[in-house]
Amino acid sequence: MNKTSRRAFLTGTTLLLGGAIFAVLRTSGYRAPIRKSALVTLSAWQYAVVSSVAQRIAAPDREGDRSIPSVEEVDVVGFIDSYMAQMPPAMRRDLLRFFAYIEHVAPLRIGLATRFSRLLANDQDRVLASIESANEGLLRGGFEGAKSLVFMGYYRDPRTWKMLRYDGPIVGRPQNGWWQ
Amino acid sequence: MSGRIVDGATLTAPTQIEADAVVVGTGAGGGMAFRELAKAGLRVVALEAGGYRTSSEFNQREDDMLPMLFQDGGGQSTSDLAIRVLQGRGVGGSTVHNTNLCKRTPDAILELWQRRYGVSGASAREMAPLFDEIERELSVTEIGAAQRNTNNEMLRIGAEALGYRAGPLKHNRVGCLESGFCELGCSFNAKQNSLKLLVPDALERGGDLYANVSATRLIVKEKRVVGVEATLLDNFGRPRGTVDVRAPIVVLAASAVGSAVLLKRSGIDDPYNQAGRGLRLHPGAAVAGRFTHEIAGFKGIPQSYECTEFLDFDDPAKRVWIVPAFAHPVGTASALTGFGAAHMSAMRTYRHIACLTAMVHDETSGVVDVTSDGGRVISYTMTESDSRQLARGLIECARILFAAGAAEVTIPAIPSLRFSSAKELDKISPTFAKPHAVPITSVHPMGTLRMGDNPESSSVNSQGEHHQIKGLFVADGSIFPTSLGAPPQISIYTFAKHLSRNIVSRAREL
Repeated sequence: MNKTSRRAFLTGTTLLLGGAIFAVLRTSGYRAPIRKSALVTLSAWQYAVVSSVAQRIAAPDREGDRSIPSVEEVDVVGFIDSYMAQMPPAMRRDLLRFFAYIEHVAPLRIGLATRFSRLLANDQDRVLASIESANEGLLRGGFEGAKSLVFMGYYRDPRTWKMLRYDGPIVGRPQNGWWQ
Repeated sequence: MSGRIVDGATLTAPTQIEADAVVVGTGAGGGMAFRELAKAGLRVVALEAGGYRTSSEFNQREDDMLPMLFQDGGGQSTSDLAIRVLQGRGVGGSTVHNTNLCKRTPDAILELWQRRYGVSGASAREMAPLFDEIERELSVTEIGAAQRNTNNEMLRIGAEALGYRAGPLKHNRVGCLESGFCELGCSFNAKQNSLKLLVPDALERGGDLYANVSATRLIVKEKRVVGVEATLLDNFGRPRGTVDVRAPIVVLAASAVGSAVLLKRSGIDDPYNQAGRGLRLHPGAAVAGRFTHEIAGFKGIPQSYECTEFLDFDDPAKRVWIVPAFAHPVGTASALTGFGAAHMSAMRTYRHIACLTAMVHDETSGVVDVTSDGGRVISYTMTESDSRQLARGLIECARILFAAGAAEVTIPAIPSLRFSSAKELDKISPTFAKPHAVPITSVHPMGTLRMGDNPESSSVNSQGEHHQIKGLFVADGSIFPTSLGAPPQISIYTFAKHLSRNIVSRAREL
């Protein structure tokens, strides 16, 4: 059996400690979300990241227009949380890794040394745009997946249909239509 | 005599089932094989990984129907995430969510399969009576002008103005209310599909259907298939037990992805490394035209008109098929590139948008494989030639939309390509439509267990039986040696019926 050298032991221990510290830092400083129902997939820090991403992807085109349902009103993140619970485990794992990438790595790649969820809206948009047009196909694909989820969470809600003038399903349609 | 519908989510016993034949999958191919084998008097069991859902559960909502009716909730994609691969999941397979397009396998394709791939007994002349029969059974009829919605009408007007070859399409629908929600399952049960016609007929004739039961491995002894190991799934698709189905005949009809995965996962003898190779996708992308008048493309029958000006089976330079495409809000929002305020502004024009899609009759050969833990991997690297075909198709879609009167046309790309006149289209690079540069979708995977008489270049023979394993048949889109250049459902129904005759004969021998 090979003996572990002192140097290998020290390197391994340093890497392990470093990893542990990074893991703690990565997930610390996030407040637990205040929600009516408990989360089933996302942790507190993941909730904060997904929430920030959703705010920018489904950002309103008319500032202050109260007729545009907000991401919170429609509970986009709550929807994503429960939708991800039904995903195949590998897909769920990849998506969570992608959100971690957005939070911790993507800002650095455009010179911003702050977590995504703590950036100003304009900088968050810059980060997302850089991922959407990244040279790496997997990042672009990840962005498309995250975007689809956010839009499913947003545009599934009949309150968003009025601005699209979308009539909505015939099945179960209220007598005065979905927009009332 | 009447068969049973058994739900794997609640099944406790027995853990071993005996049958004359087991069919894996219940889409166009599986449903047909299930029915034909039951009709021949065989004790047949059909396994379906998804649930048994009927029209009363189809509520026309994207957030509910995508997870219910699509593989991975509509999130299945190639391994590089460049192409979304949409496939059905559940009893009826993709026939539950397709838009009912019915086109026969082109004669030129059948002739090519015979000449180049040694497929016998399936010439245009030999298949014609079967196509007639299938079209009668599925009530295939042309969608007339009175039923054509505005989105489809824009294709007709544009193509006519440009002098392009175009015409109406045939569909399999009876009692259609033209609600426009076909891709989310028909709430009014108007689709003449596997779920409505074939599976109930098979059950009536004594076949047993096991839903929420996923085939995990083929059981093979001495080069002869003897059954299938399967996993019972709960309503969330999580494993909750196993079941063995013992049968001397196994018919794979779990799609070009699912059937190849099952075969590869089972470690089936494959001396020429054929299984999973030859994947064709009909990769497609969409173009949106904004009109000053209302289109409301979400209303009415989708995809009732086609343009075949750029599709010629004798000309490799013409391999694009153009049809209207339209989606409900979630699908539209996902397809439009960009995000944030600009995206929402674009979404506000939803009711004024007409959409066309260009689909490539592809030559790219992809691969379906399995990971070490048995998961699916779909690899597909588009050839330069296919990429150019897609670009040409998208440009022609844009040209047609302008000819129909569009005020502005957008090709969703990164960066987005926006045009205010047809003249600007001439400036586009013919190579812009690369994977990741435009959102590409596939709804027609095929070709991973190709048929042919040469085992060195195919997985099954012209009778659908595996070259190496006796009693193992394939009866879905996997068997097509090349891309079809046409929507595949009628080809799959018809070939499954054609092969079922051989399967019944073999069942009587074994």
